[in-house]
Amino acid sequence: MSSLEISSSSFNQETKLPLSPPLVEDSAFEPPGKDINEVEEESKDIIKFTSEQLSVDEVSQLVISPFCGAISLFVGTTRNNFEGKKVISLEYEAYLPMAENEVRKICSDIRQKWPVKHVAVFHRLGLVPVSEASIIIAVSSAHRTASLEAVSYAIDTLKAKVPIWKKLYFNVRSIPDTLTGGGSAISCPYDVLHQN
Amino acid sequence: MVPRCQVEVLYFAKSAEIRGIRSETISVPQEIKALQLWNEIETRHSGLTDVRNQVIFAVPQEYVELTDQLLLLQSGDEIAIIHPPTSGG
Repeated sequence: MSSLEISSSSFNQETKLPLSPPLVEDSAFEPPGKDINEVEEESKDIIKFTSEQLSVDEVSQLVISPFCGAISLFVGTTRNNFEGKKVISLEYEAYLPMAENEVRKICSDIRQKWPVKHVAVFHRLGLVPVSEASIIIAVSSAHRTASLEAVSYAIDTLKAKVPIWKKLYFNVRSIPDTLTGGGSAISCPYDVLHQN
Repeated sequence: MVPRCQVEVLYFAKSAEIRGIRSETISVPQEIKALQLWNEIETRHSGLTDVRNQVIFAVPQEYVELTDQLLLLQSGDEIAIIHPPTSGG
């Protein structure tokens, strides 16, 4: 029984995931069902930062396992407003490779806490237009509770600890307001940003 | 006299915009308290004073608050200025 039921129609199916690092694990995987008779399947943590458009389909495919009955997903998207202002796009920057290491720590924490199979964390960098995904987290597990709780823990911890920052671009006077760092441009504390 | 070393200061987000650059190499004592290190960096651009209460260091890739904690540095170490994360989601 799979709990995966998502529509990916709004995502570009042509998007190819580049083979460039930082892909922690080789992304090669068997099509679902093919290795159903294998006794073991190695667990994978797949972490990627990319400037390319993210595909929910591709990330969820990465965590599929015949041993699992659940895939839980979190997709963070660019919202078109912030404190009453119209947002045109977000721009993300990260301190790589520390960000990758911090995500790896989160994956390790998850495995201490829940019996999950595969974990995939993809974060987009650079400009992310409204409605497009900035982050996709996918976790597979034998039963739904583990992957649901793991995904929730992953995004909460990621937002608190992983050195990634966003800048919001508003359409007010076509001048970029900066919310990164001190957030002095419109006197917005970071805490507000955390309460998405 | 504590020997000095060359470390790489990395700026991100707001601090990068204030400083106007993303990285620079500075000479600092090999043994220095985190807060003293910040003061050294702050002398590079007075605008950084605005963010001193919002940032911590990552040295090397481990979070360090701007306190009296003593840092043992080596040439080539990265000192990242870290604002509170605001990742996607």
